[in-house]
Parts: sequence; structure tokens; C-alpha cells
Amino acid sequence: MAERSPSSVAVPAPPPAPAPEAPRGHLDRRLAGIGAAGGVLSGLLGVGGGIVMVPLLVLRAGYRQRDAHAMSLGAIIPISLASVVTYGVAGEVRVGYAAALAIGSVVGARVGAGLLARIKERPLKIVFGLFLGAVAVLLVFK
Amino acid sequence: MSGVVLYAVLIAFGFFTGGAAGLLGVGGGIMMVPFLTLVAGVSQHEAQATSLLVVLPTAVVASITLHRKGVGDLPLALRFGAVGAVGGIAGALLALALPGHALRLVFALLLAVVAVRLVRDGLATE
Repeated sequence: MAERSPSSVAVPAPPPAPAPEAPRGHLDRRLAGIGAAGGVLSGLLGVGGGIVMVPLLVLRAGYRQRDAHAMSLGAIIPISLASVVTYGVAGEVRVGYAAALAIGSVVGARVGAGLLARIKERPLKIVFGLFLGAVAVLLVFK
Repeated sequence: MSGVVLYAVLIAFGFFTGGAAGLLGVGGGIMMVPFLTLVAGVSQHEAQATSLLVVLPTAVVASITLHRKGVGDLPLALRFGAVGAVGGIAGALLALALPGHALRLVFALLLAVVAVRLVRDGLATE
């Protein structure tokens, strides 16, 4: 996104065949850039970094949709931790509401992640694309 | 909404959000923040802060589930997420200096373009 020159868009993602199920295991500049983009936009707009990181991981880093979702969730852990600390210091958190939402959410997360592990690539891409489109509409009319 | 009902609704909505987050690879804040402001009646700032506190355990549970199933690469994700954590603080500081509405509009257009591309890719995938 913003931190990359247009020329790097043309750099082909790793060949579709070998990259997919076994993501490369080291932190290269591209992944660091995706993490930074997710973090900055997350802080800037108050949205989850995942909405930015998932498309970048698929379109720029060559991950399959399923792996991109899993990587995004992992990256959200340190990002949200830093944000929670920042907001927590400001004393804005409604702990009771957060606890109630979290009780439902952690159970839901197991179900959703279980489904992610099984779902086929094609419906997953379509569902995520529709979700992204809905978010775009929401942002415009908010 | 009375206390008990509100809490029951929050738990149910949390389940829905968590499920969507685990499937979609996002935190779910985009769904929780509007819900908290509209239904629970908290301020925008409180909603964002509260939602972030829910996003954290949601991402942890989803990540552990996926790690056990061998999807993705959690140690690597945590490392580029750590870069993102620094970016997040920078972004929050930047937000104070920029007009939020214009920024939101540009971001929405960008998402719409990406959404179209992903759906098209998805339809073309076997």
C-alpha cells in the first residue's frame, strides 16, 4: 500500500505453486511492510488491521486466502495488545461490556477458525470480498 | 435496554463477531464499534477501546486453533505483527493531525477496489 513504490506492485508474488501451504518462515521486508501498513491504518482509522493485512497478504505476498487469514489473526495479537495498552492508559475501556462480548467472542472464534481450516479457497475469497465491500460502504456512509 | 438483557445481547453478538473474525481473519472491531455505540450507547472512543479489548482474546483463541490445525505460520505472524504494533502507535498519533473524514473516504474507495478484485479472483478460482 502506501509505503511501497508502484514498481514493486509489478514484482510477481512467489510462484503460486510452492508458496501456498508452507509459508516462507522468515520476516522479510514485504511482511514487515504489511505489518506496518496494518498497524498504521489500524491506529489511524480505528479499524482492525486485518482488513488491510488480509488483502495485502494475498495480493502482494502471495499467500493463499486461508493462510492469509490465519497470519492476519496472529499479527492482530501484538497490534491489539499495543492499542489496548494505549487506550487503557486513557481509561476509556468499559470492562464489563468487553467481558460480556469476549465471552461470546472466544467461543465464536473457535467455531469461525475451525470453519476457516476447512472451507475451500473459492467461497472464502468471495465471502471475504463481500465483507470488504460491505465495510467500504459502511465507511462511506458512517 | 435493561442490564441483564443488554449483557445477554452482548454475549450473543460477541459469539457472532468472534465467528466472523475467526473465519475472515480480522479482529471484528469493525462490527463491534458500531454495535457498541448504537446498541450499548457508549461513546466512539469508549467503543473503540472496548472493542480492542475483545479483539485481543478473540485473535489469541483463533490463532491457537489455527496453529493446532497447521494453518498459517503463527511465529512469523507474531513477528510482523510486532512491526505493526509500532505502526499502530504511529498511526494513532498521525490520526490526531489529519482530517479524519477525507481519510476515511479514500480508505473506503481503496477497500471497494480490493473487494471487487477478490470477488473476481474468487469466482475465477476452481
